[in-house]
Amino acid sequence: MSTGPRLRLPGERKDGAQPDLHAEHQILNMGPSHPATHGTVKFLIELDGESIVDLDVQVGYVHRGFEKECESRSWYQCIPYTDRLNYNSAILCNLGFCMAVEKLLEIETPERCQWLRVLAGEISRLGDHLTRCGASCLELQAMTPFLYGIEARELVWDLQEMLCGARVTTNYVRIGGVKHDLPEGFAAAAGDLLAKVRSLLRDFDAVVTRNRIFVDRLKDTGVLSKEDCIRHAVTGPVLRAAGVPLDLRKDEPYLVYDQLDFDVPVGTVGDNYDRYLVCVEEMQQSLRIVEQCVDRLGALGPGPVDVDDPRVRWPAKGRVFEGMEELIQQFKSVTEGPKVPAGEGYLAIESANGELGFYLVSDGSQRPVKVRCRPPSFLNLQPLPLMVRGAMLADLIPTFDFLNMIGGECDR
Amino acid sequence: MAVRVVTVNRVAKLTWVERLYLPMILKGLWVTSRHFFRNLWGFATGRSEAFVVQYPEERVDFADAFRGMPVLVARGDGLPRCVACGLCEFACPTDCIRIVPGELPDDAVERTPRSFTIDMARCMFCGLCEESCPEEAIVMSREVEIATFTRDAMLYEKEHLLVPEALLERRLGFLRAEYGRERAPAAPRDGA
Amino acid sequence: MDDCASPLLRRLLDTHGSALHATHARLGDATAIVKPPALLEVMGFLRDEPGLEFDMLLDLTAVDHLGEEPRFEMVYHLYSLARNHRLRIKARLPESEPVVASLTGLWASADWMEREVFDLYGIRFEGHPDLRRILLDESFEGHPLRKDHPKAARRPPVEPRQA
Ligand code: SF4
Ligand code: SF4
Repeated sequence: MSTGPRLRLPGERKDGAQPDLHAEHQILNMGPSHPATHGTVKFLIELDGESIVDLDVQVGYVHRGFEKECESRSWYQCIPYTDRLNYNSAILCNLGFCMAVEKLLEIETPERCQWLRVLAGEISRLGDHLTRCGASCLELQAMTPFLYGIEARELVWDLQEMLCGARVTTNYVRIGGVKHDLPEGFAAAAGDLLAKVRSLLRDFDAVVTRNRIFVDRLKDTGVLSKEDCIRHAVTGPVLRAAGVPLDLRKDEPYLVYDQLDFDVPVGTVGDNYDRYLVCVEEMQQSLRIVEQCVDRLGALGPGPVDVDDPRVRWPAKGRVFEGMEELIQQFKSVTEGPKVPAGEGYLAIESANGELGFYLVSDGSQRPVKVRCRPPSFLNLQPLPLMVRGAMLADLIPTFDFLNMIGGECDR
Repeated sequence: MAVRVVTVNRVAKLTWVERLYLPMILKGLWVTSRHFFRNLWGFATGRSEAFVVQYPEERVDFADAFRGMPVLVARGDGLPRCVACGLCEFACPTDCIRIVPGELPDDAVERTPRSFTIDMARCMFCGLCEESCPEEAIVMSREVEIATFTRDAMLYEKEHLLVPEALLERRLGFLRAEYGRERAPAAPRDGA
Repeated sequence: MDDCASPLLRRLLDTHGSALHATHARLGDATAIVKPPALLEVMGFLRDEPGLEFDMLLDLTAVDHLGEEPRFEMVYHLYSLARNHRLRIKARLPESEPVVASLTGLWASADWMEREVFDLYGIRFEGHPDLRRILLDESFEGHPLRKDHPKAARRPPVEPRQA
């Protein structure tokens, strides 16, 4: 958020030389709440006419001290805070954090729980991509596809609500389990809603994918080559659009992703159009995964979704009401919180934006020493100046949109 | 399973029809008008499939699992079921619950909250209070319309929070269905 | 304790044994604790050596162990896209002089993450091209992720800018 040495007075050159009369560069402030920057971020743009000479990205407007806050909370209480990292795919943030804690505790969750987590995570990814594609269309002045995208997202969030009890701040995954099992009628509702989402995606596709205005604005804008992506540790759809098939769900399969059938879409050029196509294809793959999960959960039949580990899971409620022992256990669990063995661990999952990692340090007490979230948005945003230098000002908008910078996650 | 990588089908060159603008505009209009006429038909026949809800005349029905504002469950005699044990206070990540315990000499439970305050401006509807309560005394209601003109009005006292059990049937039923949940034996993680 | 279970660590110990304090592979995360002066060299080796090829610096952060000396710990997470393996590198920095070499010359991704660590922990990076606060604004006093920075501290209100 800082206004540092890069801020120069209008017309003042980098080297301090006097500018030529007709070469006077203009400084443009865009943001922090410019309607076409769909995260809260500020660009300080040096313009030569309409082309971008240089760009300083200033982030930090949504910094809420996530890490500091977690350090004064019990492990359990951090979970709702992870919801607030990426509000488009909160479950994936829950999941990343809980799996990292489970890594420190060295516990394995039951099979049904793993399928539920994959299911919830993919629903969440779907919602994230739908928002990204829809909102980007809106910022390119295409209102109708935005409405289709958001309608589809709302349908997906209906499923999320059935499963988690909330549409956005889900607070669903628990250390060593999940909050709820599948509700009754979920499979039928999922079949229904996903069919609708598919049809909306078809309409979305019909309106924009081969539309000349859309293609002209996306093609060959915001190109980021493979090498630059790797140098900047860019991950997720942006990296895949550049042609690198890195997907942690395939490369380091966690949960039950190794038993699922899905493809990894990649692009060839690494421009905005490729990013759009990769996202659309990933949504199709997520739809496939959700269906496989629903089938599999049906076939698995009822079973436990939590581990029986008194260190992490609070006792089953029914028994708390009846048994003294469980009541005492409940008091202990809540007031002390789980004690995580001393040590450190890094666990990364593939979130909708890329590698979402949690690096946790514990000293064996109830509170974390360090909760570091490796935010994909933050690192994906970093090479933005590289992508738009020399381009027209208008190209900044689709480029920024398809990076899908989420303020909450970028600034934490 | 082998990694199957698919390269996205990039439109290398638009056909001349597509480059002419007009046919694509017509195609777009075809898609949007289909939605329009479907919604119009639904409106005319009273079987509207339109996605938009005419709030506040119409309201959506939340799912069973829905978490709204936390409220206190009242017993038949109007007293809160809460025994002021303070667990929810402990569990709340935002420290928005304040309880002052009191005595209830003539009652079997003996304890009751003298005052019970939730700062709804800070509450994030996470449901951890409900999860921790050993008495089924604080539950997430389906109430979400809590906007006020002042911040002070967001402080909910015991009197505002008490809701008779009969009105919370749906939530309590949902919770009770999960009470007997089994647990899987803890298996040590092999390898990593 | 030296754990040689990981071939990566074995390799590092063989070539740069004197630059390392310790290695371990607890919980499956291969970790090497490097002496700060040798950091740049070890990192350069890890990036360029065939067979290691750590082409991505995925994460960079710091931990404050208040009360211990050296107090700060830099933590780097490396990933090799070509070989699909990971490595964690750590380096301890003293409280009196929390300075470490910047890795911006090796990986461009270090730029913002080092600025973030500078912002939140007050660790300085030698050779960083543009070390300034990133998440907080210039008028902020202190480095909030240090353990001795009170959580309840309110940031000083921003003065109206003088024309
Ligand atoms: S819902 Fe969460 S934030 Fe609100 S009172 Fe309960 S525990 Fe606290
Ligand atoms: S946990 Fe339940 S019984 Fe205990 S104080 Fe809170 S509401 Fe009352």
